[in-house]
Amino acid sequence: MKQIALYGKGGIGKSTTSANLSAALSLQGCDVLQIGCDPKRDSTRMLMHGSFIPTVMDLVRERGDANLRKEDIVHTGFNGIRCVEAGGPEPGVGCAGRGIIAAFQLLEKFGALKGDIIVYDVLGDVVCGGFAMPMREGYAQEIYLVTSGELMSLYAANNICKAIKRLSLRAMSTCRLGGVICNARDTPREEELVAEFAKRVNSTLVQYIPRDRIVQLAEMNKQTVMEFAPDSPQAERYRQLAACVTKNTRLSIPTPLEIDALEALALEFM
Amino acid sequence: MPSKPSPLNSCRSGGCTLTGALSVTTSVVDSATIIHGPAGCAHHNFSLLHATGLDNDRITSLNLFSSGMLEPEVIFGGEDALERAIRRAVRGDYSVVYVLSACIADTIGDDVPAVCRKDWGVPVIPVPTAGFLGGSFQDGVNNALVSIAGTLTGTAERKNGICANIIGEKNLEFEVEENFNEVSRLLSLLGITINVRFIHCAGTGELASLGGATLNVLRDEGMGSLGDLLNRKYGTRAVPAFPAGLSGTLRFLQSAGEIAGTDAVESIAGETGAQASLLEDFSDIAGSSIRFDPVFPGLTDDCSVSEVIERLGLEISLEGVRVPAPLSPPVGTAGVRRLLHRWRRALHA
Ligand SMILES: Nc1ncnc2c1ncn2[C@@H]1O[C@H](COP(=O)(O)OP(=O)(O)O)[C@@H](O)[C@H]1O
Ligand SMILES: [Mg+2]
Repeated sequence: MKQIALYGKGGIGKSTTSANLSAALSLQGCDVLQIGCDPKRDSTRMLMHGSFIPTVMDLVRERGDANLRKEDIVHTGFNGIRCVEAGGPEPGVGCAGRGIIAAFQLLEKFGALKGDIIVYDVLGDVVCGGFAMPMREGYAQEIYLVTSGELMSLYAANNICKAIKRLSLRAMSTCRLGGVICNARDTPREEELVAEFAKRVNSTLVQYIPRDRIVQLAEMNKQTVMEFAPDSPQAERYRQLAACVTKNTRLSIPTPLEIDALEALALEFM
Repeated sequence: MPSKPSPLNSCRSGGCTLTGALSVTTSVVDSATIIHGPAGCAHHNFSLLHATGLDNDRITSLNLFSSGMLEPEVIFGGEDALERAIRRAVRGDYSVVYVLSACIADTIGDDVPAVCRKDWGVPVIPVPTAGFLGGSFQDGVNNALVSIAGTLTGTAERKNGICANIIGEKNLEFEVEENFNEVSRLLSLLGITINVRFIHCAGTGELASLGGATLNVLRDEGMGSLGDLLNRKYGTRAVPAFPAGLSGTLRFLQSAGEIAGTDAVESIAGETGAQASLLEDFSDIAGSSIRFDPVFPGLTDDCSVSEVIERLGLEISLEGVRVPAPLSPPVGTAGVRRLLHRWRRALHA
């Protein structure tokens, strides 16, 4: 079983990329589980044809964890992909990070963490230990950074490198950086910049995904691009990403940049 | 007084802000206290206070509630659990409810003061604590006293006659009553009576007359900001600390007299004579060789202790007889007497 996690700045396209990646992997014949680890809870929405599935945390809040069954939290979507949303507290109260930890404990209890591949779609600002949970022992061994060429997005990706580095130095840790995915925002020389960033943090650009209106069209039809337009060039990109992830063996311990170096890099490509 | 005072039964000040604040709030006899946090935080603190009480020959009965936070409260926020605990507490027949918080409640950002501000029918007063996160035992004590003083509604109308408040007694200290009695005795030499013990076994009715005193006597220097607060609120000036040792006692009379506007010359002369005869009473150990017992750590270089050593001509040496170091400076002439009794027992053992 392979476990991967996609991390990146909010709104950069983690969920869009995760869902299309899961769909592509599934269409290749893999048994896929996608877990949204973001209180935003819309990671699996397109795989579920537009419906928001109840989150693990909603169910815990309403029924208490003693009264939950695996079927309540694991929902089957497009092409048999199993979907889970960890969810979280109401904005502004409680501790979302602890919510992620509790959701993982429940998934463990139910033996729900299985399949050929698990895709974790995680909030990018690794604000506390809870959001680093998917990187810990026994979970995702490969982390993919989703970023555009925008400085703030690279900044978040660089921070995640710091978290991976910290964790990878622990005994027993299996967490490594798998690569960088460029989800384009059409900034100048974007692909080059993100490729250079990837190199400097000791990794590689594994896939360039163009910005394409087909993504919004698919969204309006409550589907992933893979389902809505399987023959589109965009779908081909997601298939390439899936192929890349499946055979990727270049895992590294990242070398995060100092803030000055990061800004200088962005400036080079202005 | 027990024959073997040991640090174990007089020092309970290693706990967190909760222990300190509880030592104050539970001294308000018609109050209840809620600890917003896991049940264990209430349990451990109850056990600690109860055990300390037993050591000091007191049975502690605490009106203590817990909001019983568990993991769901940590994740989703604990304010609802706190509301439930307050609802339970206000159903009891208490004049006031104090709310303290454990580390985790503040870690996740529960807004305790906002919950307390709702209309509960009786005053519900938040005390900034936050367990270990919020500081030490003494911070808990100070914050509780400040919170309670800040919410008192009584007036600053002075009582007839000169009287003093005793502020911030160390309720868990073994000699809390002895120390109070000594301070009362010294004040009475100046014709000053006691108004309120803020706070030692007092009801909210008594506390409300806090503003009626002529002067405040603070337990120790660490309570300066509380003294300032009371001065701003009621215009009452404070003696900064309990009297420490022999000359400290005379200085105490001097400054209490100054604030109260009474002449202290006569009482200082009287007390000076009493101290001379105290030293006379211990002439049998004068000139002895002593050293502080390393098994029971205490104050070894406090000037009030050095003064006693010097006045009796005691000699500190490695070959000296082991005597216990006091845990805090001896309070008043009586405190010095008890200290010397302990040393004499060690020297004659
Ligand atoms: N490659 C793309 N081309 C066009 N729009 C995209 C692309 N990737 C993402 N988007 C849009 O960006 C928005 C945010 O993406 P989302 O996947 O929800 O971000 P995240 O999960 O990182 O918060 C979505 O509404 C989506 O339509
Ligand atoms: Mg998302």
